[in-house]
Amino acid sequence: MMNTKQILLDFSAVTGIAGKEEQAVQLGAKLLEPYGKVRVHPQGSLLCRVWETDPAAPHLLLDAHIDEIGIIITHIEEDGFLRVAGCGGMDRRILMASPVVIDARSGPVYGVFCSTPPHLTSGKELKNPKVDEMYVDIGCTKEQAEQRVFPGDRGTLYAPSRTLLGDACCGKALDDRAGCTAILYALELLKEDAPCCNLTVLFSSMEEVGGQGAKTAAYEISPTHAIAVDVSFAHTPDAPRAKCGLLGEGPMVGFSPILSHAISRQLCDLAKEEEIPFQTEVMGGKTGTNADQIATTRSGVLTGLVSIPQKYMHTPLETVSVADVENTGRLLAAYVRSLGKEGKGW
Amino acid sequence: MVSLIDLIRELCDIPGVSGWEDPVREKIASLVQEHCEELHTDTLGNLIAFKKGAQRPKNKLLFSAHMDEVGFIITHIEEDGLLRFTSVGGIDTRVVVGKSVEIGPQRLYGAVGSKALHLHTDKEREEVPDRDKLFIDIGARSREEALEHVQPGDRAIFYAPFLPLGENCILGRAFDDRAGCALLVKLLQSDLPFDCHFAFTVQEETGCTGAVAAGYAVAPDIAIAVETTTASDIAGVSADKVVSRLGKGPVVSFMDGGTVYDSQLYRLAFDVAQREQIPCQTKSMVAGGNESRSLQTAKAGSRVMAVSLPCRYLHSPSNVLHKQDVEDTYRLLHALIRELGND
Repeated sequence: MMNTKQILLDFSAVTGIAGKEEQAVQLGAKLLEPYGKVRVHPQGSLLCRVWETDPAAPHLLLDAHIDEIGIIITHIEEDGFLRVAGCGGMDRRILMASPVVIDARSGPVYGVFCSTPPHLTSGKELKNPKVDEMYVDIGCTKEQAEQRVFPGDRGTLYAPSRTLLGDACCGKALDDRAGCTAILYALELLKEDAPCCNLTVLFSSMEEVGGQGAKTAAYEISPTHAIAVDVSFAHTPDAPRAKCGLLGEGPMVGFSPILSHAISRQLCDLAKEEEIPFQTEVMGGKTGTNADQIATTRSGVLTGLVSIPQKYMHTPLETVSVADVENTGRLLAAYVRSLGKEGKGW
Repeated sequence: MVSLIDLIRELCDIPGVSGWEDPVREKIASLVQEHCEELHTDTLGNLIAFKKGAQRPKNKLLFSAHMDEVGFIITHIEEDGLLRFTSVGGIDTRVVVGKSVEIGPQRLYGAVGSKALHLHTDKEREEVPDRDKLFIDIGARSREEALEHVQPGDRAIFYAPFLPLGENCILGRAFDDRAGCALLVKLLQSDLPFDCHFAFTVQEETGCTGAVAAGYAVAPDIAIAVETTTASDIAGVSADKVVSRLGKGPVVSFMDGGTVYDSQLYRLAFDVAQREQIPCQTKSMVAGGNESRSLQTAKAGSRVMAVSLPCRYLHSPSNVLHKQDVEDTYRLLHALIRELGND
């Protein structure tokens, strides 16, 4: 069986900021290759046709996004400092004195978000500056900076991918490479199965900036059913309990008006049958995930959402439990098999 | 011979939060013991060395640099396995949220986590969280599990990479004041024109405690603190608030938040720098402070001078030094020994 923890750590370590996912896609392609024909969509997403059977059979799309949040260089100042914007939802509260690595054409360029020295803050009430009020120091004059970076280059907060005690993995980009890993786990469980439906895996680009990757790829794939696999909030003492799941308590099955209620219920039933721990996540409107994009593709796709509980989302400390990732994979595999059964007599 | 930059890197790799400097002291002792006549650790943990030079100086000279760094101390372990902590030394809360730490001698990895930005109110996005609300997550699911790895009182350092920054700079943790320690180690490893005393001190960041005892024991005529000082030559800061600049050489202070320095020594440093063609700058704001204040009042008193490396983002996981400043400061310190020994 695959080494889930190692795949999570490897996936976390590679760079793939929204709109420039190449390095992550390269790793994803390597990991998907054993399961089917892999190709890169013009919008940067990675597609893998896992099972191709009777065209009248259901066609299931399993989606997880492969992009991560980051920063994008907007301007180089006269003194060589960089102005940046968030590429996806950057948490302004964590940026000060954070090391960054810019994915420049010539290779990685290191930098740090400037922090305010104490003589400039003493006696003043401290605030978190906005991203566009901050500077990144790359230790360069303007001339040196221009040789190394170019406006539009993207960067991430520098973060190691590490294990914590127990089975927790901690690092950047586990939103949503943990989802990619869960899908890989499902494929591993299904690899001896005879194809019971059409099955395509999508590691989508640009989720963090609007879901363009899933929207365009889903149109091309034209599935009948889809499950988006993403991460959702795991509870910590600073967060509202009612809006969170718990780390280690299993996948969170989504319920929302945009999701197929039948799929949501079936996912819960399957989890009970297969004795997979699970939690529910109920949303009153849209889900804020690729499920919203996929469900409204072409004339509509029956869509479900399964989320892996994650602490510290959108920070370099995103933390997931290996057991949750594997249980998500188990639930996905169970759903694939159930769809095959349902489809008898297409 | 290892370069000064490699030596800084080696010393910065060691955790040494105030009151827990032992591993740093052991490393420094191993680097200097063959190069000095006397070496001992005092009651508080200061490492004090004496090295013979070519001549006896007219003034008894003491060079000091502190071994400790700012960091954290674990105060309480919650039922759910999360750790509560407080700062050791002055740390802006804004550089703590979302960072990771390494706890205890085994360097257990932990996350100073914070709920996802999607769950923040507008007010929470803007406001700096209360330090007491922060916690470190080591992955333990219970107090019992956490206690197998961590005890209240354990120190934690920022997790921080050591990285090149541009062509000329380095980025890392604890340059304050391992860079000063590295300069003193290099002096000890070199041939000196005059006898010198050296003190690698403890607990500077929590009140310049170590230097009180070291100053008393050595009772120098002239004490030179080798430190790092604020460089806020960064975008958006007006010229009058810059304090010092990277790449403009060692910083010699006339006054800071803790000390009024000996005015003759202050001028002498610039004269020596000019003669030796070493770039040198003054600290252009009265701010901060260092252990000179403890050394100045030791016994019947010492004449004090501070020679500092300009350093950006002090007391954060991401300090920045200019490599040329490190070399220039080393040259100035050597030149000062020649000058002060004859004074």
